[in-house]
Amino acid sequence: MAARPQVFRVRGLTKVYGMGTAEVRALAGVDLDLFEGEMVVLLGPSGSGKTTLLNNLGGLDVPTAGELSYRGLDLTVANEDQLTRFRREHVGFIFQFYNLIPSLTARENVGLITEIASNPMPPETALGLVNLSARLDHFPAQLSGGEQQRVAIARAIAKRPEVLLCDEPTGALDVRTGIVVLEAIQRVNREMGTLTVLITHNAVMADMADRVIYFSDGRVHHIRTNEHRAPASSLNW
Amino acid sequence: MISLLNRKLWRDLRRMTGQAVAVALVMGCGLAMMIMARSLIYSLESTRQEYYEANRFADVFDLLKRAPNAIAARIAEIAGVATVQVGISQQVTLDVPGLDEPASGNVRSLPDFASPELNRLFLRAGRWLTPGMRREVLVGEAFADANHLQPGDAIAMLLNGKRQELRIAGIVLSPEFIFESRPGAALPDNRTYGTFWMPYKELAAAFDLDGAFNFLSLTLAPGASASPVIAQLDRLLTPYGGRGAYGRADHPSHIRVSDEIRVLHILSIGFPVVFLGVAAFMTNAVLSRLLALQREQIAILKAFGFSNRQIVMHYLKFAFVMVGAATVFGGCGGVVLGHRLVVMYHRFFRFPELAFRLDHTALPLALLVSAGAATAGVFSAVRRAARLPPAEAMRPEPPASYRPALVERSGIAHFLSHTFRIAVRNLERKPAQALFTVAGLALATGILIVPNAFRDGVTEIMDFQWDIVQRQDLTIGLVEPGNARVHHLFRQLPGVMAVEPFRSAFVRIGFGHRRRQLAIQGLPPNSVHSRVIGESSRQIRLPQSGLVISSKLAEVLGARVGDELLVEVLEGKRPVRTVRLMGLAEDFSSMAAYMDMHALNRLLDEGDVISGASFKIDAAHRGEFLHALKGIPRVSWVTIKESLRDNFRQTTAASIGLIQMIYLVFAMVVAFGVVYNNARISLAERARELATLRVIGFSRREVGTVLVTELVILALIAVPLGLLLGTGFATGILREVNTETVRLPLILSASNYAFAVLVVTIASSLSALVVLRKLSHLNLIGVLKAPE
Repeated sequence: MAARPQVFRVRGLTKVYGMGTAEVRALAGVDLDLFEGEMVVLLGPSGSGKTTLLNNLGGLDVPTAGELSYRGLDLTVANEDQLTRFRREHVGFIFQFYNLIPSLTARENVGLITEIASNPMPPETALGLVNLSARLDHFPAQLSGGEQQRVAIARAIAKRPEVLLCDEPTGALDVRTGIVVLEAIQRVNREMGTLTVLITHNAVMADMADRVIYFSDGRVHHIRTNEHRAPASSLNW
Repeated sequence: MISLLNRKLWRDLRRMTGQAVAVALVMGCGLAMMIMARSLIYSLESTRQEYYEANRFADVFDLLKRAPNAIAARIAEIAGVATVQVGISQQVTLDVPGLDEPASGNVRSLPDFASPELNRLFLRAGRWLTPGMRREVLVGEAFADANHLQPGDAIAMLLNGKRQELRIAGIVLSPEFIFESRPGAALPDNRTYGTFWMPYKELAAAFDLDGAFNFLSLTLAPGASASPVIAQLDRLLTPYGGRGAYGRADHPSHIRVSDEIRVLHILSIGFPVVFLGVAAFMTNAVLSRLLALQREQIAILKAFGFSNRQIVMHYLKFAFVMVGAATVFGGCGGVVLGHRLVVMYHRFFRFPELAFRLDHTALPLALLVSAGAATAGVFSAVRRAARLPPAEAMRPEPPASYRPALVERSGIAHFLSHTFRIAVRNLERKPAQALFTVAGLALATGILIVPNAFRDGVTEIMDFQWDIVQRQDLTIGLVEPGNARVHHLFRQLPGVMAVEPFRSAFVRIGFGHRRRQLAIQGLPPNSVHSRVIGESSRQIRLPQSGLVISSKLAEVLGARVGDELLVEVLEGKRPVRTVRLMGLAEDFSSMAAYMDMHALNRLLDEGDVISGASFKIDAAHRGEFLHALKGIPRVSWVTIKESLRDNFRQTTAASIGLIQMIYLVFAMVVAFGVVYNNARISLAERARELATLRVIGFSRREVGTVLVTELVILALIAVPLGLLLGTGFATGILREVNTETVRLPLILSASNYAFAVLVVTIASSLSALVVLRKLSHLNLIGVLKAPE
């Protein structure tokens, strides 16, 4: 595992929201290294700092203190434009709510990426990876929740990102649909070697990870390494 | 204790301050216009009415050649006549210190020892005439102001050809001359034309009118109507050279004030309707958005037991707060604008005091009208929301359904970028919102066309009048028509390059049962100075016999070329003849009739005489020429083209400038408000979508493009429509404003259109910029984490 190149280096990462009595310490000194091709699951109670970490990793937010670098690029000093470029080139996001553009079809939602990314895959290929080749020209309102989430995954991977950040991607889905979505994420991780970080409240999903990072009170509580990753299809909850 | 629902109202309102202000501003513009116009109508009407009553303004007027004073008693016996006043009215020439050219004016008599019964004067400065004192004069304020004359100053007046040095006793105002201008002149020139009052005895002596009169005015008994009195009066005074009596409706000063009031009436209704219509749409858009956002809150309130009525009222209050703000804004705006316009009226209208009077019914009316407009705009949306069963309202709204836009279905889809597709599909899915934005922008564009069309119309008339029709530098009129030989004398004056005589005669022209009084202009057949212009701007050569009249007059009379018109001459031997209509003049003069000068002289049967002459002058000798003119007693009046032009620039042009400014500001407010409102709603409704684009790597600029693309598409549709709309506005308003006395051509220039497009573009860009700034404060994470 240690032989894999390092993607993120995180040291003493701190994020404070608000000031004075309203001050909230969302991250209180996180130390972490994330590597190429890894599948990492973040577990922990609500408010433990998982999402804040994910947002900082993805360049949606900047830390208050500490070190955060992506392949040597210091994200703590990056400006708005640099962060936009970082997201555009390297990061794919998947949220609990699919956040598709309602006025664009599945193909077009994915195709959006092709307008801005430097080496995108054709939308049809990305949608094929998530088994949606039959639904290319449907608008989001015509797709089920699971299908919409898979479009979101296709959109996230179409730019061939090095990092895929998933924030409770199955939170709004039933078990069967959730598994289909997880299979898609796992397949991307395996076939494209994308570093995948996945937040969940569901401990069962931890079995599909290389490493499981437990969060509490804005810190890494402990890290578990799985000998074998379970295929998503074997999961049940 | 403020109810919690009201507390929610205030907090919600604070979050939508920008949009509420935009709505209130647009609504306020309409109300300001309405309050301003209604208050000005009230100010003008009430001030004029009080002035008329206090100074006993007459109801019927008549000019005649000469009648013995005893006739006054017979006039008083006519049924319906209350009070009769007779006196003298004469054209005079003046020599005013500091004025190069001779000035002219109208001198009226005042009773020697009593104050006049009718048309009483108002003393602005100095004192009244001292009974029995000679060589004193009262001067009308407009002329005194323009020439900086004070009580005690001296002026020289040519009374019937005899020069008299007079001392100014006082500066006065008269209800007969609220608008003071040379008879027949469309524009006032207060520097060279004035009104004066002197004792009857002195004028009677000077004009050979002892024991006689040539001007009369009378009031009607309560309930009496003017027309039978006028008919009897005409019968009675025809032997004495009566020019034809006329009522207030034909009184030049009265008409001008009434015309202004009429225009204000159009403003007070037309524009508020348009502005409030747009504001109603805006309120609807803002509140529909709020209702969609608060769908769940409404469900909760209903689940708790709030009635539909309470909920409807709660949301209507949002509209009412905006209406309240708009009324305050409109009230203040209306009062400020009203004060500015009243100051402008001081240039045209002379009242003892013309102050801005707020029409107190205007404010409640404004409140009512705008509350009505706002309620109409939002009621259905609010009721729909309130009627939703709570359980249904608690579920999110069904997802928006989209389809490829029309432009894409036409097969050009693959040329369009994804951001462009997002923009057009959104527009197609919300046609009402798009329509409203288009309507608002079109309106803003349209209202900009109107004032410039007015300005261009006036400029066109002036250029036409001064460059094409009247080629002379100046024109003079004789006290009495004189032998044609005098024009050879005129030729001898210093600096004269060309002289052309003219003859004019006051007549009544009739066809069928329709009649109009005016002066026929007798011109040399191929006049170079005063040209008669026909179709497609070509000069008409006046025929050796027969009449050419303006097409407007022909329309009024219902006459066509070839018809025989009845011409009753109202001066001299007063012949009555039928004359064939030979052609139509297509100029802007509303009521005009032309004849070959010799033909007119034959008709008048007074030999070869002229009424005056027009001159082209060598500019280097202009001073000498004017000086020489001051010494010719037979000259009654002089008009100098350049002075008229200057005067016009200072008065009419300046007031058009002020009105243009008002329209400009209002159009900016509408364009800004409409675009801002639309972009804000787009931004709010699509925060998630825009945030998503940001998250997946679109830059701020690229995301802004989506919003701006929508606005640009809307503007591209709206602006051409607005230009059409403005053309319609201008055409309609000119049709309403144009009368027999005012006739403005419809001139729509490319620069007018370009200006409107420019202003709307600037206002739209500014408001788009304001909204784009908000885009950068979009909370990416917060938006995306929230459920849809």
